[in-house]
Amino acid sequence: MPGEYASQFTPIMYMLGMGFLAGVPALILSKILAPRKSYNPVKFLPMECGQMPVGEGRSHFMMQYYAYILMFVVFDVMSIFLYAWGTSLLSIPKSATLPMIGFLGIMFAAMGYALYLSGKKGIW
Amino acid sequence: MVTVPKKFGFGSFVSSILWLVFWIVVIVTLVGLPLIFIILFYVPLPYIGDEVLTPYLFFSMMVDPTRTIPIIKFLIHTDIFRVMVFPGFGYAAIIAAVTIFVERKFLAKMQLRVGPYYVGRWEGILQLMADGLKLISKEIIVPSGADKLLFWLAPVLFVATAAAVTALIPVAPGGWVVADIDVGLIAVFAILGFFPLIALLFSWASNSKYPFIGGLRALHQMVAFEIPFILSALSVVLVAGTLNLTEIVESQYLYWFIIIAPISAFVFYISSLAELERIPFDLPEAESEIVAGWITETSGMLYGLIQLGTYLKLYALAALFVILFLGGWTGPQIFPEEIIPGYTGEKIYNHIVINGIFWFTLKTFGMIILFLLPRGISPRIRIDILLHTGWYKLIVLCFINIFAVLTLIYGGIIPTGGILQ
Repeated sequence: MPGEYASQFTPIMYMLGMGFLAGVPALILSKILAPRKSYNPVKFLPMECGQMPVGEGRSHFMMQYYAYILMFVVFDVMSIFLYAWGTSLLSIPKSATLPMIGFLGIMFAAMGYALYLSGKKGIW
Repeated sequence: MVTVPKKFGFGSFVSSILWLVFWIVVIVTLVGLPLIFIILFYVPLPYIGDEVLTPYLFFSMMVDPTRTIPIIKFLIHTDIFRVMVFPGFGYAAIIAAVTIFVERKFLAKMQLRVGPYYVGRWEGILQLMADGLKLISKEIIVPSGADKLLFWLAPVLFVATAAAVTALIPVAPGGWVVADIDVGLIAVFAILGFFPLIALLFSWASNSKYPFIGGLRALHQMVAFEIPFILSALSVVLVAGTLNLTEIVESQYLYWFIIIAPISAFVFYISSLAELERIPFDLPEAESEIVAGWITETSGMLYGLIQLGTYLKLYALAALFVILFLGGWTGPQIFPEEIIPGYTGEKIYNHIVINGIFWFTLKTFGMIILFLLPRGISPRIRIDILLHTGWYKLIVLCFINIFAVLTLIYGGIIPTGGILQ
């Protein structure tokens, strides 16, 4: 039953709610107890080691990591697929491992090539 | 002659107490009694054994302590007890609190300092409470231009997500786990994937440069270490043949999986350190480079909540290591079968469960100490070396162990058909 299967996960939701139950009252209590000093424009500036902040807080940021991100998208999914194989390993015939080894070989070759290229191009 | 003012006289004292009694009587009759009637009429009374728990039965049970055992038994097998107290939030929070204190003392001893010393009579044992009071009574400063909603929400979300991870950890035999689901291991990985997102959200919300850099570093670190982290648990799953964490522990009754998967255990340990943002891999919070990383703008209780979440996560990952590689709660039976010899009544003491809890807590604490250890002995790693380690070395090490386990299975050294059968 799909509903029954989903109801296995409700205790996780209870724990999530428990986290909120612990966090929100702590913040409210802190809001009640904490002193509120008069408004001071310098106090609310973003932290920049005591200097006046220069420029925007949310600026553009060069993130030269796209090759690894693309590889992550591929290989993260691959590792989850391996779990589907790993749980059923003991109930499938032994010959079914050979295609799996082939799949791993292809993935390994692709990964090695990608890492080789990203090393050659000097991305990080 | 000293004259006592009238409001300090004995008569006014008695009259104030009488007024207090009067108001209590009025409030009880007007509010308390109707409330009790409403509860008695509309709430179904729970069954204890085979009889209904009426107020008469409740009070007669209260007179004799041994008669309350059915009530306690009924309470500790409800979901609410599991979530709030034992395998759930209370237990995890206590372990997190002990971890914070132990970390400070342990690192201080390693670096020939004394650590917390003054608060409380012995070794600064009340330091944690003092810190909590300090954090809760500090003003929370929201930087100008910050996204208010996300800024307040992200620390609470961090704690809640860490609590959700601990929900999946089985602590003792006999179903002592909050959420016993078939795909427990995958669910742990799924929930752990939320943490860098929360870090990034918070760093974006705080409208400052250092948090932003820290949040992006958290993301990079997650991308580099997620795959070895997931793959290192695969060799355990190959042998156990299941993803349910309780069944993984039960399949280790003969030997611990660290014996056949030592390299995986090592990789799991390293990538857990990266996942926890602890010292060799604490680039998102590198205090000597980017002030405090993604938590630069936190103040007061927001910081306290993030700390609580971090230590809950530390407990969850140490417990996961124990479950996957160190045999969970398995261990020699050291607790006697009965505490009071010759007692033949309703029992609440279960020697197997107590034994499981004892060994599980001991092993988890050992793992927590191992997670704390690098902070005292290791400098911070450079970010490109970190990425290189994650991508080039750890993944290969994982596959070496996976192939070794496959060879053992197909060579007939580990019995096929599962350890469980």
